[in-house]
Amino acid sequence: MANIEIRSVSKEFKTGKVLDRISLSAEDGEIVAIFGPSGSGKTVLLRLVAGVEQPDEGRILLGGRDVTDQAPETRSVGMAFQNFALFPHMSAFDNVASALTAHKVPRDIIRAKVEKVATLLKIEHVLGHAPRELSNGQKQRTALARALVAEPKILLLDDPLRNVDAKLRYEMRLELPSLLKASGSTVLYVTQDYKEAMALGDRIAVLSDRDFAQIARPAEIYGGPATINVASLFGDPTINLMPVEPLASSAGQKIGIGGAALSLPPGYAHMAGKPCVLGLRAENIFVEDTASPESVPVEVVAVTPLNERTLLLLRTNDGREILASEAGTNEAPRRHGAAFARFDAESVLLFDPASGRRIAPQAA
Amino acid sequence: MSEAALTIKSVDKIYEGRGKGPVHAVKNLDMDVQRGEIVALLGSSGCGKTSTLRMIAGFEEVTRGDIVLEGRRVNQMPPARRKVAMAFEGYSLYPPLTVRDNIAFALKSARTSAKDVQRSVADVAHILEIEPILDRYPSSISGGEQQRASLARALVRQADLYLLDEPMGQLEPRLRAVLRGRLKSLLVDRRMTAIFVTHDQTEANALADRVAVMEGGVLQQFASQKDLRERPANLFVATFVGEPPMNVFEARVSNGDRVQFAIENGPTLDFSDSEVSAKVRSAIGRREKVVIGVRPHAVRLGVGSGDARVVSNQWLGDQSHLAMEVAGKLMVAVSHAPIPAKVGEHLQFGVSASDLHVFDVSTSEALSHGLEAA
Repeated sequence: MANIEIRSVSKEFKTGKVLDRISLSAEDGEIVAIFGPSGSGKTVLLRLVAGVEQPDEGRILLGGRDVTDQAPETRSVGMAFQNFALFPHMSAFDNVASALTAHKVPRDIIRAKVEKVATLLKIEHVLGHAPRELSNGQKQRTALARALVAEPKILLLDDPLRNVDAKLRYEMRLELPSLLKASGSTVLYVTQDYKEAMALGDRIAVLSDRDFAQIARPAEIYGGPATINVASLFGDPTINLMPVEPLASSAGQKIGIGGAALSLPPGYAHMAGKPCVLGLRAENIFVEDTASPESVPVEVVAVTPLNERTLLLLRTNDGREILASEAGTNEAPRRHGAAFARFDAESVLLFDPASGRRIAPQAA
Repeated sequence: MSEAALTIKSVDKIYEGRGKGPVHAVKNLDMDVQRGEIVALLGSSGCGKTSTLRMIAGFEEVTRGDIVLEGRRVNQMPPARRKVAMAFEGYSLYPPLTVRDNIAFALKSARTSAKDVQRSVADVAHILEIEPILDRYPSSISGGEQQRASLARALVRQADLYLLDEPMGQLEPRLRAVLRGRLKSLLVDRRMTAIFVTHDQTEANALADRVAVMEGGVLQQFASQKDLRERPANLFVATFVGEPPMNVFEARVSNGDRVQFAIENGPTLDFSDSEVSAKVRSAIGRREKVVIGVRPHAVRLGVGSGDARVVSNQWLGDQSHLAMEVAGKLMVAVSHAPIPAKVGEHLQFGVSASDLHVFDVSTSEALSHGLEAA
């Protein structure tokens, strides 16, 4: 067993409270992505688990053992932090191998293990170099290799791809999960990139405002974000948010946008007459040339390709700006001007404007 | 519309380095920009895009060749006389003036009526969402706000050409997506001719009618984003443009009764005579080796003669990225729906002849795209 349990942990610095009674548990072999904007306390959390910082209150259990008062070196935790912390007088190879030499592993096994992890991280060609001869991306991967090679039961990774260039970063995003799974480690993986969090995490813990706003599987967070803030942190382009006020009608709850009345899915009767924030993702808006029931007349203001999608900036009669995105890259010019937007009612999200929390539909 | 606003003729830029040897930053560049056209100079740092922009603006001397603006050769003309509006680094806001006065400054000196100045400033401030900072001084606003203020100052001017350096660089994603749309709409509505520099292909594709891809001081291809995607001129463009980039493999080719591409230590893509056009067969000719490429969105899964192990399968909310191991390399497939495949399992894949790109193995130049010769 090497699970992680963080129980109601708080940490305060002179500048203020960073973490306020947060709890998180990671199962044996699970990868939990800790995601949040910079300054949200992600690194502090890792440092608490590593034992480099002490919590003001709360307990930390690793593999069922309370380690809150234990020294870092007794916790069997592997780490790769942002400040690479490589030994400057050792080659990249020796830096990686240093994680094993302390454990009296035979030389040929050390060499095989180091080379294997170096190949996966694409640094095999620079193993003979000293740290000062490495680029930042290579330093970061060397530090990551050192953390991985010892196959620690618990692995803490602090934004390990941050300084890696975009292309390599993308490749690593594809390859890291199987590498981490193969190590069998339980992993806390800090990142500021929502795509990385979704790609790598079995679950994502979204850290915001000193606490976890949501801890769930990637698809659950994307499809059912707990708050407006979480909804805005996931998705490219960012989710459309607009103030609305559902009205009761004979055919269920409706919301008015740009002169059209749209039906809400069942379960929102309790929201009639109350101001809400409507959240609608760009890919759930369909732009069509002809009107259909419940479509909203819009003006297509701009058509901009976004990878293999096309992004449309729409303006409604009541002046709202909405981003829609379509799969494929239909050629642009004909699409400017008047059109109709149809919303996928099933994917509509409603939030409470005061608390920012998502309003769940109620069972009939 | 077919009148050139700008012609760049055989332009070289060589910087005489101190101590070090000279640096050839731009090599024999030929480019035409039409009136009303929006053009992006796209490339990584050091590719020559910024040197090109600065030569057009007049901040850098042209080493060889000519720059012709609206029919006038401007090589020796000082920047202020070129009728060019600029928003870029090193051309910062005047610190003693408020943002409003900075934007209005260029208009006032052109003897515009006070009412028109006021309206132009209000319009552009609304579009770029800088109304709240109009009465503040440059030193008290953020980098992203300075960038937008500088962009606004360029856009209100009457000019033959607008030169913009990374216009949306420092903005948060939501604002960037919306402002890109508004900026494009403004440029198109007013039929402004604009050239902007960026290292971000999303920005280039979003704003530009045509994109000039530069690398090593050399213009690699100058085309619409559709052509860059469907007809990349060479392997550099093929693997630089597109997110994720094109999958490419070296393959032995046999161009006989059937057309076969055998990837070393990997599968063979096998096409019948009727699948591959005669034009493509003659473009490949008698080559023994070529590089073949397929875009991640065009990889067909579950069918075909290829067999590969799934390395990862990642759902990002609106698209899936599936990585497979093929011939010791990663091959990526992207789909707008979730892909039902587990890590470790084997999956068949195929490429239809209409999605296959073929490149010369030594020159890297494109030979064919789909069913057409390059």
